[in-house]
Amino acid sequence: MIFKQFRYEPLFQASYLVGCGRAREGLVVDPIADLGPDHYVLEAADQGLDVVGVLETHVHADFVSCARELAEMTGAPHYLHEAAQGLVRYPFTPLHDGQVLTIGQVEVRAIHTPGHTPEHTCFLVTDRARSEEPWAVLTGDSLFVGDVGRPDLLVGEDELDVYSEAERAELQFRSIHEKLFTLPEHVEVYPNHYGGSTCGGVNMSGKASSTIWFEKRFNLALAQPDVAAFAAFVRETAKPFPERYQWIKSYNLGLITREELEGAMRR
Amino acid sequence: MTPAEVAAAFAEGAVVLDLRPPRPFAAEHIPGALTMQFNRADLGERAELMLPRELRLVVHAEPEPIATAAVEILRGTGFEVLGALEGGLRAWKEAGYPTESLPLIDVDTLHADREQYTVVDAREGFEHRHGHVPGALLFPPGEAWERAEELPTGTPLAVVCGDQTRSAYVASVLRRHGREAVLVMGGMADWLERGYETERTTASA
Repeated sequence: MIFKQFRYEPLFQASYLVGCGRAREGLVVDPIADLGPDHYVLEAADQGLDVVGVLETHVHADFVSCARELAEMTGAPHYLHEAAQGLVRYPFTPLHDGQVLTIGQVEVRAIHTPGHTPEHTCFLVTDRARSEEPWAVLTGDSLFVGDVGRPDLLVGEDELDVYSEAERAELQFRSIHEKLFTLPEHVEVYPNHYGGSTCGGVNMSGKASSTIWFEKRFNLALAQPDVAAFAAFVRETAKPFPERYQWIKSYNLGLITREELEGAMRR
Repeated sequence: MTPAEVAAAFAEGAVVLDLRPPRPFAAEHIPGALTMQFNRADLGERAELMLPRELRLVVHAEPEPIATAAVEILRGTGFEVLGALEGGLRAWKEAGYPTESLPLIDVDTLHADREQYTVVDAREGFEHRHGHVPGALLFPPGEAWERAEELPTGTPLAVVCGDQTRSAYVASVLRRHGREAVLVMGGMADWLERGYETERTTASA
């Protein structure tokens, strides 16, 4: 298996390349426009891989995605969870909970983990060349190292937000406890953000990977006894909102053009 | 370069260097193209080792960022690179130009029909000595261009390496030299996985 984490330090954002060296194919997860589609194409080529799929854990609000451009450049499908249907205004290939993408010896299983957003999905990675046991999970903005993805990044339109902040907090709590913390404890955790990212709270670690075992024991937000305590804790430990997140989210949903976004970012 | 410009350069002796992976290369490529694996770390070094200096190259890689990077690397290594094909194979075909393909076989076919082929091992001596397809001739990629004429004639050449990276290059060289060559997908990795026999004595081409 080829597994590479790309960190974009100014935004504390992590994107990923997951592939099979023998099949010479790879998937890119959560590509960021600040690095750009060329970056991912060249990094994959350096590993001898063709990009055969572009996955997003969710529609992002704190950074500009380049998933659409990368999918167009490579001819690969752009995957999002099916709950993004009706929210995004561009075509994509829907994933359902439990769906497995197979790349040679590597399997990537979609685990729907609503909370941060309704369509949020984690990707469980198994390298069958090593073992049938899963090895890593890309947790997007659900489980962070030391923290969780915030539930309050709303656009402000009910049909796009789907859930309120309170509902998102409850979903996040349940998704992580029921779907991630039930994974084998050796599974490594690779989040979409770390450190100073404003997508999580003040307890996010600067370390950009962990394990299920470690987070089950030492993640303060998830040590809260119930949903109400969790929601209160997340609110109290939140950072300021990401800059212009509603504009970024609108672009990533396909509601506005890149030019409109750039105009808004300059204001 | 537009397909027409590439075709004109081709007519004047330029060689297309196809940097796509072995499988798409084998399926369809510009006639006479050589193929190598792209990566930024050592493309220049490998090209220096494997390609004659006097070649005038046109790069074919997809998507475009790879072609741009490859042109820069090869020029930096001192090769004469005329440019890169714009729009990839699709544009080439849409402009009405022909393509050719490289036949693929898997290790099961090679194992079953071994008498029909001369097996050419496109790895280095130390790998070949460690174990190879019985009767396979040692034929490292760095020597392929110079030694293409030395291989026995009469049977098609089945080219094998560790996987299908170096073998694709060697097969493309042999075909450029007018030889009938097929590419063994999966190479020694698949051969060993199937438990097929290997030999340790060295026969040279």
